[in-house]
Amino acid sequence: MRSPLARWSVVSVSLALALTSCAKGTGGGAAPTQSPGQFDPSATFRGSIAVMGFGATDEVGSTRVEKAKAALGGADVKLIEGDLDIQQFLSSVAAGDPPDIIYANRDQVGTFASRGAIVPLTACVQGERIDTSMYNSNALAQVTFGDEVWGIPEFNQVQITMANADLLKEGGLTVEDVNGSSWDKITSAAQKLVRAPGGKLRVIGFDSKLPEFLPLWAKANGADLLSPDGRTAQLDHPAVVKALEFAVGIYDAQGGFAKVKAVRDSADFFGKGNQFAQHELGAMPMEQWYVNVLNDVSPEAPLAFDTFRTPQGQPLAYSSGSAWAIPKGAKNPGAACRFAKTMTLVDSWKAAAQARLNKRDAEKKPFTGILTGNVKADAEIRKMLTSGGEPWDSGVKAFYEANDHTFSLPANPADAEFKKAWQDAVNRVLNGEDEPQPALDKAQQEAQAALDKAWAGWTKRTN
Amino acid sequence: MRRRIRLIATWTALGAFAVVFIYPFIWLLSASFKPRGEVFDHRILPETFTFDNYIKVWQEAPLALWMVNTLLVTVLAAVAVTITSAMVAWGFAYFRFPGRGALFGVVLATMMLPGAVTMIPVFLIWNSLGMVGTLTPLWAQNLFGSAFYIFLLRQFFLGLPREPFEAAKVDGANNWKIFTRIALPLCKPAVAVTLLFEFQVAWTDLMRPLIYLRDSTTFTVPRGLKALLDQFGFGGEWHWEIVMTASVITTIPMIVLFFLGQKHFVKGIATTGSKG
Amino acid sequence: MALHSRRRSARWIETRAALLFISPWLTGFLIFTAWPVVNSAYLSLTDYDVINDPTFIGFDNYVTLFEDPKVGLALRNTFVFTAMSVPTQLVVSLGLALLLNAATRASGFFRTAFFLPKMTPPVAIGILLLMLFNGQDGLINGFLGVFGVEGPAWTTDPGWVKPGLVLMSLWTVGASVVIILAALRGVPQELYDSALVDGAGWWRRTLRITVPMISPTLFFLFVVDSINALQSFTEAYTAFFGAGNTTYSNDAALFYAIYLFQQAFEFLHMGYASALAWLLFIVIMAITVVQILVTKRFVHYEGGRP
Repeated sequence: MRSPLARWSVVSVSLALALTSCAKGTGGGAAPTQSPGQFDPSATFRGSIAVMGFGATDEVGSTRVEKAKAALGGADVKLIEGDLDIQQFLSSVAAGDPPDIIYANRDQVGTFASRGAIVPLTACVQGERIDTSMYNSNALAQVTFGDEVWGIPEFNQVQITMANADLLKEGGLTVEDVNGSSWDKITSAAQKLVRAPGGKLRVIGFDSKLPEFLPLWAKANGADLLSPDGRTAQLDHPAVVKALEFAVGIYDAQGGFAKVKAVRDSADFFGKGNQFAQHELGAMPMEQWYVNVLNDVSPEAPLAFDTFRTPQGQPLAYSSGSAWAIPKGAKNPGAACRFAKTMTLVDSWKAAAQARLNKRDAEKKPFTGILTGNVKADAEIRKMLTSGGEPWDSGVKAFYEANDHTFSLPANPADAEFKKAWQDAVNRVLNGEDEPQPALDKAQQEAQAALDKAWAGWTKRTN
Repeated sequence: MRRRIRLIATWTALGAFAVVFIYPFIWLLSASFKPRGEVFDHRILPETFTFDNYIKVWQEAPLALWMVNTLLVTVLAAVAVTITSAMVAWGFAYFRFPGRGALFGVVLATMMLPGAVTMIPVFLIWNSLGMVGTLTPLWAQNLFGSAFYIFLLRQFFLGLPREPFEAAKVDGANNWKIFTRIALPLCKPAVAVTLLFEFQVAWTDLMRPLIYLRDSTTFTVPRGLKALLDQFGFGGEWHWEIVMTASVITTIPMIVLFFLGQKHFVKGIATTGSKG
Repeated sequence: MALHSRRRSARWIETRAALLFISPWLTGFLIFTAWPVVNSAYLSLTDYDVINDPTFIGFDNYVTLFEDPKVGLALRNTFVFTAMSVPTQLVVSLGLALLLNAATRASGFFRTAFFLPKMTPPVAIGILLLMLFNGQDGLINGFLGVFGVEGPAWTTDPGWVKPGLVLMSLWTVGASVVIILAALRGVPQELYDSALVDGAGWWRRTLRITVPMISPTLFFLFVVDSINALQSFTEAYTAFFGAGNTTYSNDAALFYAIYLFQQAFEFLHMGYASALAWLLFIVIMAITVVQILVTKRFVHYEGGRP
């Protein structure tokens, strides 16, 4: 019997099939190769471009966005604020509805490129005549693969040593004891500075800033996490293991990471009740922008600064930061390219710095500088600084000095996976689930597997 | 006398447990009126009483918009699933047709299928329709009924006497009229249970909004709350008071809903269990 | 002959009407269940990230699954959580229901008190967990401190993360309490009366009469709670995972459903995630079947019929 049920099923199944047309890639295969001709520096743009991951919440951001908007010649700029959410971004590419440009960490660009989620910017750079020599070479190298540039560097971040001068003095210590030049001194300083009356941790002596700063401690100990060609993970290198053991040991000497983290998290990090102002932290390595934050919210806090130093006494910093990238399937790549270019031009940075300077002047506060991915802009901005007296001037001096002694993670197509592998390992050690050596052995395997897979895919795709 | 003592002991125990169950609400509510530094002081009455958190949360997040989004999704989801599930349940309860038992067996079997199995292909369907990023995938599937409610409503329909329907049929009423004019009004309590249950499910869901929503202007309240936690809790700026205040705002509609439909909730849940 | 065909056409009319009524479900079933099941099985044999076309890779995903240490970890976490939370929930809700049943008056008020937490959105519960169980300042450790006990770091110490989640899950036993209470009220009074005549105490009556009489309900809750616990996601995800959350994410809270979600929607490993989903399906099925077989012997059904 030709039952109605059977007929219904046929109708519905074919409807379902029509709806889904089986699983396909929405990226539409390989992206059409862009040519420099598409990126004409004299063209003007209409409509609007969507920018994901960038919040122009301060004058440094908004001034440049205004400049970029003007450079588009009419097109509007729509900011989708908040940090770039990888899930959100990849899903928008998958849906064939990506933003026109994204603002990402430089150590995410490789993964995005190898996933086919962003496009190379060679045509953009040539067409818009972007002078890539103005960019910080470390920063640019981090977003360059297979001779193609995949991102336009924006901010730069380096680490320096920050300490509470009052606490140091009470402990009979100086910033030399906590700047990394002697690991033994750091451990003993941490023990002198820590306060835990009745077993309840009140003052963190020294925060080694794990998991984020493992690359810094490892490099200070003479080891890179990744080989220069970006193909071989070196997470199980004895020097890396030793660095991790040391950095974790600092927490153990203060009652364990759980306690330190609880105090760390309860601090008003961006407010006037921050851990330095409240005398809740002895010292830590930290990114340079935090000098600006501290000077802004707690100018009276008793701080002491120095660069972060290797055991040989040399300044050292891990250069990280952000970059602009254009998603595959972006509707308006021309405007996006112009936007990225204008955001990072020397003039734009100067205008942003001027805006910051004016604001600080009005508040009778010093202008303590910005580090960008543009070395020419950095040089110009440095001339505009105003003195804030001590300790702020030495803080600023320290981060400019650090900026001249940086290293960065080599570019590779699995950078997000690579970072996840070592961060997970560090977290396992911090949580007491694993010891440094086996944790890093495991991370080494995971990382190498991810790298091998990504490089294999990369070679296949580009050939 | 012994009876009395036992009763007093029971009430004391119940009272103690009631405090344990209710106290987190009070703690949360009170924390939402405290300034940042006093959030964890565990006082029931805030030492410094402030409305700032409510004002700040309103400024920092498009809460009103999230409320509207959630309300839209929730109402559509609840109404859609109630109407269609009732229809299907009626189809299974009232009519006799070949394959009825087997088909209803399929309905029951789908309840055993973990959502994880269909989650990805269903996402791909919405993706190919270009609906990812909109609110539609959060409720539109409810237009096709839901096995659990079909089961629940069918049980109810089966409990109804058949006479009124036969009588109506003799009077010439068609099937649709019998369903809407007689069957539905007779099963108001079950319809209310379905509406309330689905209202709660849709209001509190996090996974689907995580999968389908990208832009914060389309967020539902739970999705927004998670975003606020990521921003102001750890990984962000450590402002617990903001997160707590948003939690209070998210939870209150559910408490109100419960008091509005308490009778139906309790009865509905008790019925679910007795079908074991 | 004529009569026969009229009867047939009457039957056909009824069938057609029934199909119209159940057509929404039928359509939905085919589009949102049947087809996805087929598609999911296919996807589990491919490498697919939505952006690029799927590549057929045979059973590679299933092989990877057994080599992936995170799968083992997630399964262990999920089993441990289920094994801890389901029995405790059952015992606590039975205890509360017995208390409610014993209190003849005002039980409505207490029932409301126990049920209210169940209305709290799971996201808010995840947030409450982080705050109530905060190792440094949380309410729980504050309470323990009153007795001179130094509470553990519930939200960071991997050994205490799951116990914390289990305790938090007890806060929402309200629905189970209501279900058990309804079952308790259905136990015939005569059984107790005759036991009283025999001089049996409360404890004895509970163990010998109450629990066996409501065992079908307890069994139902046992199975349903297990299925739910094996798929638990929201509370742990809210508290320990999510965007920009690298320092809090805790391997001890990585439940299977969370790992699956991450693979599918954070990394867009749709093929691998589909394989993960099928493994979950098999695991849940196996556990449910075992539960049914084992518990069948202890469950009392009136008239010996399930």
